[in-house]
Amino acid sequence: MSKARRPGSGHVPAVELLVARTLLVGGLLGIALILVGGGLYAAHGGFHHHLLQLSRPSGAAPAGVYTSVRQVLDGLQRRPVDPLALTALGLVALMATPILAVALAIPGFLQAGDRRYAAIAGIVLALLVVSLAAVGGIH
Amino acid sequence: MDLIVFSVAVLFTSVGAGVVGAILGLGGGILLIPILTIFYRVDLHYAMGASIISVIATSSGAAASYLRTGLSNLRVGLFLVMATITGALLGAFLSRVVPVHVLELILGLALSYSAFTIIKQLQDELPTHLSEDPLAVRFGLEGRYHDLRLDREVAYRARRVTGGFAAMFGAGLLSGMLGIGSGAFKVLAMDYLMRLPMKVSTATSNFMIGLTAAASAGVYFSRGDINVLIVAPVAMGVLGGAYLGTMLMARMHNTTVRKLFLPVVVYLALSMILRGLGIHLL
Repeated sequence: MSKARRPGSGHVPAVELLVARTLLVGGLLGIALILVGGGLYAAHGGFHHHLLQLSRPSGAAPAGVYTSVRQVLDGLQRRPVDPLALTALGLVALMATPILAVALAIPGFLQAGDRRYAAIAGIVLALLVVSLAAVGGIH
Repeated sequence: MDLIVFSVAVLFTSVGAGVVGAILGLGGGILLIPILTIFYRVDLHYAMGASIISVIATSSGAAASYLRTGLSNLRVGLFLVMATITGALLGAFLSRVVPVHVLELILGLALSYSAFTIIKQLQDELPTHLSEDPLAVRFGLEGRYHDLRLDREVAYRARRVTGGFAAMFGAGLLSGMLGIGSGAFKVLAMDYLMRLPMKVSTATSNFMIGLTAAASAGVYFSRGDINVLIVAPVAMGVLGGAYLGTMLMARMHNTTVRKLFLPVVVYLALSMILRGLGIHLL
């Protein structure tokens, strides 16, 4: 329970620290991939011959738009590697980060002996998975 | 537009959005969507795709820091986000049944009322006494943090847990039905209903919005609304800005944060009422 946060000691409870670290590492990993992808794209002259299309075409997806993880992975397997796919992978990592943080909180709470909040984190994780699946189905 | 000019300009704009988002517990979409569409002429769908990623980036950046300093309350966040996600799920299904204009009007009026409640408690730095709500005790909806501004430990416990939980459910429901972010409502519910310190409210909202945004990001992704070339500078800028924002917010008075929050609520209230009357600002 939160009484574990001792006043004035600067002590951060283990679960909070675990979630904080996951968010930090996931965020930085995402940004690193975006930077590497962007750097490669620039090195291949992407920034020079490319005028950004700011309106959304109704037909085929323009450069920089990926609609599934599969497409991103295909781009990564291409040789030479598609630099924008690397950037897209960074965005996927960013999107997965909060979900991973909740998943890791479950064993974190269990270890702290807080079964009630391990269950609550489990419910939140299940709701996240359901909405990822269900909302995708509606639209 | 030349890509490199666009990227650099959007990067700097996004730093600003990240700072504001981290301080106020919003995703920054409220700022980013209008700026991207009006000033940079980005397609609205791409702007919304960029906004949802910016919410996740703000949340990760800000919550990582707030959880360490004790300003974000992990248990309060997880407890309340159960209600928000359930509401959003239900709202997504109901959006085809309920007339949207009526909802927007109701929401606009509710927000106008909230603006008055904020004005009434504008000078309250901290709740004066600890609540005895048995649900708050049972679920550990309490905590303490060291306030850098007041230079002392602040202990708090949530009031009106049932009301707060219901408000979070309503916030999720509305955001699912209207397709809007719910950061502002989360902050209002925690600050006004549950009487958590304002800084704890916005910091905890920062943690929660990442979860709700991650749940809906998949839709934007599969619809093709996420353009890497637009989102990449946004994500980087916002994440950096969010770090900066957390440092600033930790040193602010609760009353300062609330004063900054007020214009956002007024703007939201007006735009919702106008939308309800059929006038879209965007």
